[in-house]
Amino acid sequence: MNKDNNNLFSIILASTVHDMKNSLGMMLDALNSILAELPVSQQGPGNTQYGIVQYESSRVNNSLMQLLALYKIENNQLPFNPSYHHLYDFIEEQILEHSPLLDAKGFSYKIDIDESLEVVFDEALLAMVISNIIGNAIRYAHSEILLTAEIDDGVTINICDDGPGYPAQMIELSGNYIQGINQSTGSTGLGLFFAQKIAIMHRHGNKTGHVELANGGPLGGGVFKITLP
Amino acid sequence: MQEPTLLMKKPLVRYSQKSVLVIEDFAEFARSLRGMMITMGSKKIDLVYNGEDAVQACKEKKYDIILSDYNLGDGKDGQQILEELISFKVLKTNSVFIMVTAENTTAMVMGALEYQPDSYLTKPFNGHILKSRLDKAIYKKDLLAPIARLERKKSWNEALEQCDLIIAENPKFKMACLRHKYVCYKALKRYDKALELTTKIVNERPIPWAMLGVGEIFFAKKEYERAIEIFNDMILEFPMVLEGYDWLAKVQYLLGRPVEAQQTLAKAVERSPKALKRQKLLGEIAEENEDIETMTSAFRQAVKFGANSAFASPDEFIKLTKSIGRQLKGNSDVDRQKLMDEAESVFSKLDNRFKNNPSVQFRSAVAHADFSSISNDEKKVDKYLSTANRLYDRIEEHMGSSESIEISESLKQLGQQELAECILEEAVEQYFDDPEFIKKAAKLTTNKNLIENSKKANQMNNKAIKFFSAKDYTQAADYFGKATQIAPNNVNINLNHVQTLLKNYQSGEKNKALLEKAESILSGITRLPFDDPRYERYSELSRLTQLILQSL
Repeated sequence: MNKDNNNLFSIILASTVHDMKNSLGMMLDALNSILAELPVSQQGPGNTQYGIVQYESSRVNNSLMQLLALYKIENNQLPFNPSYHHLYDFIEEQILEHSPLLDAKGFSYKIDIDESLEVVFDEALLAMVISNIIGNAIRYAHSEILLTAEIDDGVTINICDDGPGYPAQMIELSGNYIQGINQSTGSTGLGLFFAQKIAIMHRHGNKTGHVELANGGPLGGGVFKITLP
Repeated sequence: MQEPTLLMKKPLVRYSQKSVLVIEDFAEFARSLRGMMITMGSKKIDLVYNGEDAVQACKEKKYDIILSDYNLGDGKDGQQILEELISFKVLKTNSVFIMVTAENTTAMVMGALEYQPDSYLTKPFNGHILKSRLDKAIYKKDLLAPIARLERKKSWNEALEQCDLIIAENPKFKMACLRHKYVCYKALKRYDKALELTTKIVNERPIPWAMLGVGEIFFAKKEYERAIEIFNDMILEFPMVLEGYDWLAKVQYLLGRPVEAQQTLAKAVERSPKALKRQKLLGEIAEENEDIETMTSAFRQAVKFGANSAFASPDEFIKLTKSIGRQLKGNSDVDRQKLMDEAESVFSKLDNRFKNNPSVQFRSAVAHADFSSISNDEKKVDKYLSTANRLYDRIEEHMGSSESIEISESLKQLGQQELAECILEEAVEQYFDDPEFIKKAAKLTTNKNLIENSKKANQMNNKAIKFFSAKDYTQAADYFGKATQIAPNNVNINLNHVQTLLKNYQSGEKNKALLEKAESILSGITRLPFDDPRYERYSELSRLTQLILQSL
């Protein structure tokens, strides 16, 4: 494709994604108002279906955003805006995005990060990564999610759950997450591939960001680690 | 259900006490936003559906929270609203502005660094996220408001102290405070301090505002080559931060490299065509480079994007018609009819937009006559010249220096020598201390005395300024008086004179006559438009004079 065609496709893709996102938003709003009309006993924590709709919509939304972003990365159109952000606030917000599902499932979460910690990253891009991984963690967790951070050469964010952990063949991919997609494992493949791409965009000096998977960890389930230099 | 642990220990925001403005053209989503705010306890929520109403609402009422969609259909977008609210100073120092966007914010070009919202939210989001964002933004804004208030009063030293105080108590906001400290140091012209602060941050991590800061300080210290180096690095590192291009172009232009400056601005405009100011600058530099095609396209964009903006001025309209005129003159294979139609439509847009402003109408009529002579339409030339002559008597305000040159140039070409000389005469009286202007005026006028007199007035003015600097206020006032005899309507000299009289009064000689003299000079300045760059000084000196008179 020449440059003009690329631009055209990018515009079409962006506006279609925009449109679908609006539809999703409208659907969620409609659902909210239906919920509000239900008797109190049927609202809130007990209503698992609502949590599922919320979760699945946010998954669709996230995948759309990732697709658009990946397309832009391939064509060098994705702007990168690193800046200082408070890590705690950022992580808390990614959790809050999933609070309807957490509430519905009755899961608990814990953020163990120093509140005054300021870290450099691209907020919008990392939000897509973290939100998606948290969504996955909730999906596989038994009842608990833990988010921690370590400061060493840069920062490492750990997203831990108490589920069965990542399959061995995924851990072995270590960085080659493009292969994960081919195994038709669904969203996990795209999410990890995207996470890896975003991590690599973060650079400092001669260091580059990276992603790592492990099992065990403090909750005994899967651990997703993203390191940003 | 288990309570999530470690929820923020911030002071509770009482949303029932906060006034909220929701700006959203999509009724469904506006309702949903309002619903979220009501759930949080808000009671005072106003809804508007477009930018014009939003700006109006903010002028009438000081909102605590503003939630604005970025994309608002054909009118102003969210960024334009924010820029106008900041420029008109209608926001409180602790008002919180949240920009709601459909697309990921990284993918859209961010607004200028000085016009950033307190937060961006990407659709769709739930009430929890909105609340969390607002809680944090309000907490931060309230905490930093004392700094912002001192900065508004230009109390830079006190603001610096306040920054250190907040850093000591709330290390979480250190970075935000450092940015304020940089602003204060720059305002105080403590360049070494400002450079030390920004360099330290950049060495650890290049981030846009600090990198820009390093470059700006090199610029202020006149170390232009080093500034160029930084701004070049900045463009490589942050190609989406457009101030990098603006500054680079500014330095390149200053160093006499207008072609490079044009190329730099063209790159920025390619990334974000919507910036009115940048398009105008590109058009002006292209004009200087004789690149008429770029000039036309830049002013065309400026007119287009100015349609929704409070910052639109007649300049871009007139310049667009001038550039179209030059295309008609120079090139035979252009579509003449199409260009002529475009110019006519630009004139009618201009006349319509500024219909209550006689000096713009006058300027437009002259330019219209000029354009009609290029398209060889003698009837129209006569028509617009007679309109211009009729409008001239209705102009009450001083015309700017570049407008005066532009108008008298056209009038001379159209054979209206007499009117051209009138305009030059008035302008020379106003702007004789501007050497660039005098150079151009001298080429246009046939009245040799005019320039000679302006030189004399300028000498008096310069002498007076020397006495003023030496704190000899009596002598200074004397020479300003002499200068005003040659140029009685010159606003700058009159204001200099007033300032000297006040200084003279304050520094010892408590003679009431000095104040009365100042008052009488000020009352003679009646033709200064509000948007004139000298207006602020005029109103400040008027205020000061009244203050001293009342305290007697």
